[in-house]
Amino acid sequence: MKAEARIEQDAGLSALLRECKITVTLPPRFQERVWRQIARQEDEPSTLVALWLTCARWVDARLRRPGLAVSYVAILLVIGASAGWAQAQQERLRVSTQMSQRYVQSVDPYQAAR
Amino acid sequence: MRRGFLILGFGMMAAIASYYCIYLAGTTGPRALLQSRQPELVWLKQEFKLSDGEFERLSKLHEAYLPQCRERCRLIRQMNDRLGQLLATTSDLTPAIENALTERAKMRSECQTAMLKHFFEVSRAMPPEQGRRYLSWVQEQTCLREQMMNHDDVSRTDTYSRVGN
Repeated sequence: MKAEARIEQDAGLSALLRECKITVTLPPRFQERVWRQIARQEDEPSTLVALWLTCARWVDARLRRPGLAVSYVAILLVIGASAGWAQAQQERLRVSTQMSQRYVQSVDPYQAAR
Repeated sequence: MRRGFLILGFGMMAAIASYYCIYLAGTTGPRALLQSRQPELVWLKQEFKLSDGEFERLSKLHEAYLPQCRERCRLIRQMNDRLGQLLATTSDLTPAIENALTERAKMRSECQTAMLKHFFEVSRAMPPEQGRRYLSWVQEQTCLREQMMNHDDVSRTDTYSRVGN
């Protein structure tokens, strides 16, 4: 029963749709403009990529100048060497403290017993 | 754009390389020290600027002292255990506990005497100036320097609490 009622309703809807006529006309070259917009969006990079490209261009432009490139490498060399030296100092101090404690513990039974 | 990035990468690599080179060069001494047979004695040699001959004499003194020190450690542990057992079985000061405490104090005194004797011997094996420095250093670091309670702080806290009340 239900199926028969649905078929009747669908038939009514189909008839209505057949009667309906679209009077609105699309603007000229509508289709072409849509495709062009899609193509533009596909070509346009995202904000992050654009930022990255700007930075990359900036770095490239600066480092192309020999003076700046040499200074940049020299500064990084000095930073690396300073960090290495500071770390080595710290390590030397750590080992020295550890060894002095070890010596004291080896000669003082009251330190070793703790 | 490639050239700029090459220079950028080269700078980074140079920084990392200089870090490791300086770090490795700066820690050659400590690494060699840690790999030696008796690193604490090698440290003593470096710290007090001893010659090879002085270091050899010091090593012999140290090796002769260690068995006595180990024996005293064993006795201290034994006394501590005994005192612990006595304290666990009573809630009052018994003659046995008093006796254990006296023995422990006697052992501490003997230990300090032996230590001091060893420190004097070691200091004599060093150049005079370094020997004096060594003596003052061991005095600060070992049990020769008794840690005392700071009564000044206690009385000050009492005064504050009284004022507060």
